[in-house]
Amino acid sequence: MNSMGLALAVLGAASAALFAGIGSAKGVGLVGEAAAGVVSVDPNKFSKVLILQLLPGTQGLYGLLTAILMLSRIGVIGGNAAELTVSQGIMFLGAALPIAVVGLFSGIAQGRAAAAGVGITAKKPEHNGKGIIMAAMVETYAILALLVSILLIYNISI
Amino acid sequence: MGTEYASAVAAVKAMENMLFTYSDLEQLINARTQNEFDALVNAKDNNGLPEVWDMLRTYAPDSKELEILLYRNDFHNLKAVLKAMISDRQPDGYFIRPSNVSSETLKEAFWTKNTDILPEYMRETASMAYELLTRTLDGQLADTLIDTATLTAMQKSAVDFGGEFIREYVQIIIVCADIKTAYRCSIMQKSRDFLESAVCGSDIIDKESLIRAALGGTESLLGFLEHTVYNELAQLLKDSLAKFEKRCDDMVIELAENARMKAFGIEPLAAYYIAKEAEIKNLRIIAVCRECGADTHTITERLRKLYV
Repeated sequence: MNSMGLALAVLGAASAALFAGIGSAKGVGLVGEAAAGVVSVDPNKFSKVLILQLLPGTQGLYGLLTAILMLSRIGVIGGNAAELTVSQGIMFLGAALPIAVVGLFSGIAQGRAAAAGVGITAKKPEHNGKGIIMAAMVETYAILALLVSILLIYNISI
Repeated sequence: MGTEYASAVAAVKAMENMLFTYSDLEQLINARTQNEFDALVNAKDNNGLPEVWDMLRTYAPDSKELEILLYRNDFHNLKAVLKAMISDRQPDGYFIRPSNVSSETLKEAFWTKNTDILPEYMRETASMAYELLTRTLDGQLADTLIDTATLTAMQKSAVDFGGEFIREYVQIIIVCADIKTAYRCSIMQKSRDFLESAVCGSDIIDKESLIRAALGGTESLLGFLEHTVYNELAQLLKDSLAKFEKRCDDMVIELAENARMKAFGIEPLAAYYIAKEAEIKNLRIIAVCRECGADTHTITERLRKLYV
């Protein structure tokens, strides 16, 4: 039963990195498509659209951070894995859910917003900042989810 | 949640900066010499419609929806090849580009008497027009048949696979064409049979009601139109046909203006093509008016609304 608890916690860490990473990959990919369209017409706008493309990438980083913190907390990274009960394992799995789920959807949503922002950069490069701000608003919810995941990870007693 | 054509839409937005603005057109109107005019036009890094179309097709190669925009060119080319064949001439000089059906395919279809190689939306019309023209040698009858078939094909395709934007676009085209046909027929006192073959009809303006109004004369037609959503067009028709045509073009551009706000999808691509068509029309208007020595006010009055 102890190994089942650990397995659930590791599953949680993997989910955080996996789903948030998928969200980011989709988001960055979408903005990349839009950015390539602009650069094909006006290569001088590369640096401006690159900033927008980077924005949906953060969810993947948050997922990675959550996974590392969780693996560190349960001792997997140090090579001295803790003995967890099933309920503790489920709690760690639950702790990963906020960033896993919110990371997935916010990564995609931020990608859409940033791709639309690429349109602003294409048409009115001087208003590029507005496109960045609008896409960055989506980030708020990924940060909130990261915060909740971290608080949960550090407040589960082992 | 569709994110189709993200790359194409972004590229099109970048290209919108290269379209002529009102101040560019003003400069063209006020150009003192033809050389100055040419220099201003060439300074814009302008692609023609065929190049714009090729670019859009590379981004959206499988979009049947976009093809609807070229149906009118296809059917025009059909007229060209038919008439050229009857008068034993080469049709190439009369072809409009871009088109969905190549000039070679059209020529082959008639030279080999095999209209099956044409797209489905043209096949029946091509056979009927060929038969009509060879039997009667009446170019006007064949033109009427093809013009109505163009609108019907656009209407059918828009319903079958078009989105909201294309359906609205087709609706404007049909309504304007029908009103114009009905108006001309009412002036020329054409018969019911002719009107029935020339009017397409739409959900907005019912074919039978329009024909009945046109048979009653221009007053009756304008009176009928005043009670439809297009009553504004009736007012303009009273003034002049030129104002009516300008308003029809402006309605299409206004529709395109709304579509270009979208970040994804086929609409901004179609809107850009429509904007490019309007730009070329404006350049032609300016060039022709300058050639005729028209004053600035007259030219400005005739200019179509811009997209930028």
